[in-house]
Amino acid sequence: MKEPIRKPWIWVIMGLLIIFNAPWYLPEGSIEPMIFGIPYWALISLLLSLLLSAYLSWVCLTQWNVIEEEEANNEEEGD
Amino acid sequence: MQDLRFSGIDSIIILLAYAVIMVIIGWLAGRGENIGKSVSKYYLAGRNLGIITLFFTLYATQYSGNTIIGYAPQAYREGFSWIQSVPMLTIVIGVYLLYAPRLYTIAKKAKFITPTDWVRYRFQSKQVTILAIILMLWGIGNFFLEQIVAIGTAVSGLTGGTIPYGVAVIGFIIVMLTYEWLGGMKAVATTDVLQGSILLIGVIVMLIGGITLSSGGATSISENIAAIDQERIGVPDLFTNINWISMIVLAGFGAALYPQAIQRIYSTKSERTFKKSLARLAWMPPITVGVVFILGIIAIQLYPGLSVTESEEIIGLLANDIADLNLFYYWMMIIFFGAIVGAIVSTADSVLLSFSSIISHDVYGKYINSSASEKRKIKVGKLTGIVLVGLILWIAWNPPGTLYQIFVLKLEFLIQLVPVFILGLYWKRLSSGPVFWGMLIGAIVAAGMTIAGYETVFGIHGGLYGLTINIIICVVGSLMIPMNQEKRKKAEILTAIKTKTNNDLST
Repeated sequence: MKEPIRKPWIWVIMGLLIIFNAPWYLPEGSIEPMIFGIPYWALISLLLSLLLSAYLSWVCLTQWNVIEEEEANNEEEGD
Repeated sequence: MQDLRFSGIDSIIILLAYAVIMVIIGWLAGRGENIGKSVSKYYLAGRNLGIITLFFTLYATQYSGNTIIGYAPQAYREGFSWIQSVPMLTIVIGVYLLYAPRLYTIAKKAKFITPTDWVRYRFQSKQVTILAIILMLWGIGNFFLEQIVAIGTAVSGLTGGTIPYGVAVIGFIIVMLTYEWLGGMKAVATTDVLQGSILLIGVIVMLIGGITLSSGGATSISENIAAIDQERIGVPDLFTNINWISMIVLAGFGAALYPQAIQRIYSTKSERTFKKSLARLAWMPPITVGVVFILGIIAIQLYPGLSVTESEEIIGLLANDIADLNLFYYWMMIIFFGAIVGAIVSTADSVLLSFSSIISHDVYGKYINSSASEKRKIKVGKLTGIVLVGLILWIAWNPPGTLYQIFVLKLEFLIQLVPVFILGLYWKRLSSGPVFWGMLIGAIVAAGMTIAGYETVFGIHGGLYGLTINIIICVVGSLMIPMNQEKRKKAEILTAIKTKTNNDLST
């Protein structure tokens, strides 16, 4: 059985992705360097957002399995 | 060339076609199902939603018309810091992961119908249940109000007044009630597939159109913005950053606990279906609000110097100009308008269904007439739905000052349910007394701050201050109340997921 809440590392990583999403750690008002015409800090936030999507999607698929097998068995038995 | 490209007959045809299709879908969904006789069939589509339907119904329910019409102006005004809208909606999946796997398992076993069923089952307290019902109904009413106003404004604005505000609102309410009554949750979820997919296509076409319009590419857009207003492109100040994180937390918890979203957890066919849908849903924020954000940024260059009120019309302005590009874009934009209306309707219908279920199952079925047949309960739900619609219409037409302000509390109230749904699932010591007082005081703090005009303090929302106090009361209060062996065992059984014990709903 895999229940996401039982695994603290899932939440630590999620928390870090959120806390660093806002660029509080970068110098206020800075724009340069621009990468592909986007200010560097916005690109960092965007990448962290994409990483959050990928991470949560991965956690859903691989770290969550509470009654899946039970349900599959029941289906086979025609329950 | 006309000023408003969509004021003609074309948009009316599209909207009418849209309305007819939704009613037909509702009729097909309910045909031969006898849905009027079973609450679980009517409100939860027989707990049988598959991956595609579940994915689209979660998507269309969570992303309302405001996500498109309202977020683009926000990006226009705030600039690059509105990129926060992407994680703000992604984190909802993270909050689901905190509680949904266990709640789904228990809900299947105990056959929950409404979000309140969990509250009643876990805390077995009338006080807690009633307060939770009030907070949820409040949130729902607020949602519905927003959607109704949005339908009126969107349709009358987009057709240049050809379809007036009142006609749009009443027309779409009739359409919505019709298909909802015909097919219940199955109709709501199936129409969501149509509404969600058109929305997705519309947003992407709009992005391509927007980029074509702004032809200069990203570099010139950014340079222009930097020249117009440094603040909208530079690293935001500390206050904005704190507010950014506060928004993500507030929206994440609030939106994951929407009553209509919780009911989708109950409607899921299987855990496998559920997790696959959520895994896909995690990618929708960049694809939807990410694109809307880019549109808002493009608009800074295309329409510089708009006032706050003028900027609210950005999507309309953009759509007009994109439609002018060529005939293909013209028709795509007409369909996109259908998609915006669809997104609003798809949120409103889910909210209305959730409202009816709480009234018929929790209020009428539990406190007024406990011996009522399922058919009668559904009928009561449908009729009170009309009463809600009437009441909300009245408020939408005459917003009564302060009452309106109180009414705007939505997420702030809904997140007060966090201890009930999340802590209650895992912490056996959590007792009903502290939960009641925590929820009540949390809601009062949130409401008090909003009414006093302090929606945020140090960039943090009133709802989060309320929630912090709420959690402290829950935890400290529960630790102070001694717990006997019997109570502990009961809580263990109620929150267990591996036991074979028959946990039937008991009051």
